[in-house]
Amino acid sequence: MNNKSRWALWIAGAVALFLYPRLFGIYYANIFVTFAIYALYAVSLNLLLGYTGLLSFGHAMYFGTGAYGTALALTHIKGLPLVPALLAGFFAAFFLAICVAPLVVRVGGNAFAMMHLAFGQLMFVLALKLRHITGGEDGVGGFPIPPLSIPGLFSLDMGDPILFYYFAVAVIAASLWLLWFFTKTPFGQIMVAVRDNTKRVDYLGFRVPHTKAVVYVIAGAFAGMAGAVYALFQNLVAAYDAYGILTSFVPVMMTMVGGIGQFFGPICGAGIFGVLDELTTRYTDRVELVLGLVLVLVIMYAPYGFTGFLTYLRMRWSASRAQRSPA
Amino acid sequence: MDASVAMYVAQGIHGLAYGMVLFLVASGLTLIFGMMGVLNLAHASFFMLSAYFGYQMVAWTGSFWAALLVAPVITAVFGILLERFLLKKVHAFGHMGELILTVGVSLIVLDGVKAVWGTESLPLKMPPVLEGLVQIAGMQYPIYRLFIIAMALVLLGILSLVLFKTRLGMVVRAAVSDAEMVNALGINVPLVFMFVFGVGTWMAGVAGVAIAPILTVFPGLADQMGMDAFIVVVVGGFGSLGGAFLVSIIGGLISSYGVQFLSQYAAVLMFVFMAVALAIKPKGLFGERD
Amino acid sequence: MNILETRSLSHDFGGLQVLKDVNLQVLAGERHAIIGPNGAGKTTLFNTITGTYTPSQGSVYFKGRNITGAGPCKIQRLGMGRSFQITSTFDRLTAFQNIRLAVLSQKGIRFNLLRFVDKMDTVTRDTEEILKRINLFEDRLTLAGNLSYGKHRSLEISMSLATNPDLVMLDEPTAGMSVDETHYAVELIRRLTEGKTVVIIEHDMDVVFSLADRITVLHHGTILATGTPDQIQQNEQVQSAYLGEMED
Repeated sequence: MNNKSRWALWIAGAVALFLYPRLFGIYYANIFVTFAIYALYAVSLNLLLGYTGLLSFGHAMYFGTGAYGTALALTHIKGLPLVPALLAGFFAAFFLAICVAPLVVRVGGNAFAMMHLAFGQLMFVLALKLRHITGGEDGVGGFPIPPLSIPGLFSLDMGDPILFYYFAVAVIAASLWLLWFFTKTPFGQIMVAVRDNTKRVDYLGFRVPHTKAVVYVIAGAFAGMAGAVYALFQNLVAAYDAYGILTSFVPVMMTMVGGIGQFFGPICGAGIFGVLDELTTRYTDRVELVLGLVLVLVIMYAPYGFTGFLTYLRMRWSASRAQRSPA
Repeated sequence: MDASVAMYVAQGIHGLAYGMVLFLVASGLTLIFGMMGVLNLAHASFFMLSAYFGYQMVAWTGSFWAALLVAPVITAVFGILLERFLLKKVHAFGHMGELILTVGVSLIVLDGVKAVWGTESLPLKMPPVLEGLVQIAGMQYPIYRLFIIAMALVLLGILSLVLFKTRLGMVVRAAVSDAEMVNALGINVPLVFMFVFGVGTWMAGVAGVAIAPILTVFPGLADQMGMDAFIVVVVGGFGSLGGAFLVSIIGGLISSYGVQFLSQYAAVLMFVFMAVALAIKPKGLFGERD
Repeated sequence: MNILETRSLSHDFGGLQVLKDVNLQVLAGERHAIIGPNGAGKTTLFNTITGTYTPSQGSVYFKGRNITGAGPCKIQRLGMGRSFQITSTFDRLTAFQNIRLAVLSQKGIRFNLLRFVDKMDTVTRDTEEILKRINLFEDRLTLAGNLSYGKHRSLEISMSLATNPDLVMLDEPTAGMSVDETHYAVELIRRLTEGKTVVIIEHDMDVVFSLADRITVLHHGTILATGTPDQIQQNEQVQSAYLGEMED
């Protein structure tokens, strides 16, 4: 694809995103915001899982911390503007990741997965028990959602779902672009190298624990960003939704279903899950059962997920084309 | 005897009993991990499933003993089916595949039991013989908890006999410390794997039925026990039975005394324990691998 | 001047003594071969020098600095590169990306999160130059795991050289190669290590005698002899112990 058609594609995408809520209305705008939040959350996890080879079953600790960070900041600080509130969530997760990173970067594989399962549950239990801060099961809710404004210039009411849609999509698109950019930097290369062959990275003179730590903090902080948008979107953050075990599993599943190690894999996964969720909740409340079945089937029959399947199809297609017209 | 001493002792017995049950679950988990390198995240789901089977057996036959005998065996069959038909298929995809597969299975089991038995807490009555207290040396002990401790010790005894005195046990131990060696020995590895997986699941099943009269049967059972069992395996060191035993006992006592002294934060204590232990020894107290 | 020196280096695995009192001296600029029968402790010697293991006893000096117990990463940064007997590349990355990682390391670009790596022109140029020199330019977009055996080995060796180390430790670079491939690999090593110090473990005696300035013979974890190829060939002790065992 040349540069010009690539630009055309991006502009077409932006126009589609702009027109979408006007064409489909508030209900579908909200569904799209949910999808976008999970897409960012899953992409941040994929940075660990797909790019660095670290499986976390406790990524909700960062999503939840981001959500609580923004919710609590808005509850307790009067007149806090929108962007600082968002950053409160981002940095809450960022600092948590900085504290946890030294404990977890030395281990890998199963131990890493298990420690996160435990840490994730720890946060969940804390959120339940520290009722006076987190509101326990009921959570923190009803905090004011400030408008997006530059004093004297403009002020956009975030209570308007369509305007909030634009804000959320812009924040998430910017975050996704940043994460995509990270994977294309020299550091992004070293990160992938750690997944492929940790020993050799060490022998090439790169510090493996430091590399993992940086990836870890970025992944945590952007999960926090997803959580912060979630808090503004729902205007309610409760222990189970923020830190629950399913909240940790969901991005792992999205990544697996969408395609591990590919930047757009988790985004596809989040889309597939969004559709699946709409359909299942319409017909049954056995959501976990469906999730479990999907997970088992994917790992058994399509371990590289949706994008892996697409790659496979494309290779088949180009192979058959090459056969038909030998060069 | 002083009343406060009596209370300490009673909490100690509670802790020991819970630690023993914890060990029954964790030992299966660590054996399976040591032998096959599979960290079975559905292990605690089998523990819960067995408790439900036990409840159903009692509902049908009225006999706790029938439940204790039959439910774990049915559970073990489910475990073997998982190993044969699902886990084996994803082996090529590595640990990640196994972890995710077993998460999927645990979700299916969780929602499955909710669909069949509902979300209510179901009571499972202990047999009348084991009800009440027994008087030893001027102190009173709950019989049922002593029974659990005794049963777990007997199972532990049998397990160590098999592991240390039989050829099969030697193979299993060799495989735990060096999986490649077993292939070299020319042993029917798939059969041994099936055996280990079956026994591991069976022990979790026994634990499930045994603890049901104390905790009742409910869908959250797997979460609570699963998390504690994983902590035991991680802290004890992956694949180390001795480590699992020691940490189970410590864990049982921590949660028991924790409830007494720090009831508000009891649930957090195990995690704190894990964080401290791993900060000192990243591979677990007795672990040589990760 | 010794660029590398081990003093009374010993290592054991759970009581099994693999290295005993090894005093290896490598002169700056020489090509130094280490030979010895299987189980003589050659790879263990490499592992204790390059930081895989901390030796049980003794010490390692590199450029006059005590590096005993330092990790692979630190030792690499001091200027010692290493290749592996069992090919150890980044198999899901392309040949180009593999070499580029080594080039990034050589340039000290480690935590750069602010630029597209594809747009770093000097990195790309250096990488392509290396790929051309090792005849892998045509295969630059092939995943390392899909390269033919000989090319995969070339990549393995070149990665350790692409970081431009002063001393390079090659662990059986020609392991498993055909006669032609071996011949090519020897030429490659000769060409790429111009002006560098090389320590090489090798089984193929033709390679050893054509490449090495000096040879150290390791036997049961101790040094039997060190000398020029001629001296080693005429050493009776070496002949009886080493060559005798080779015929077993």
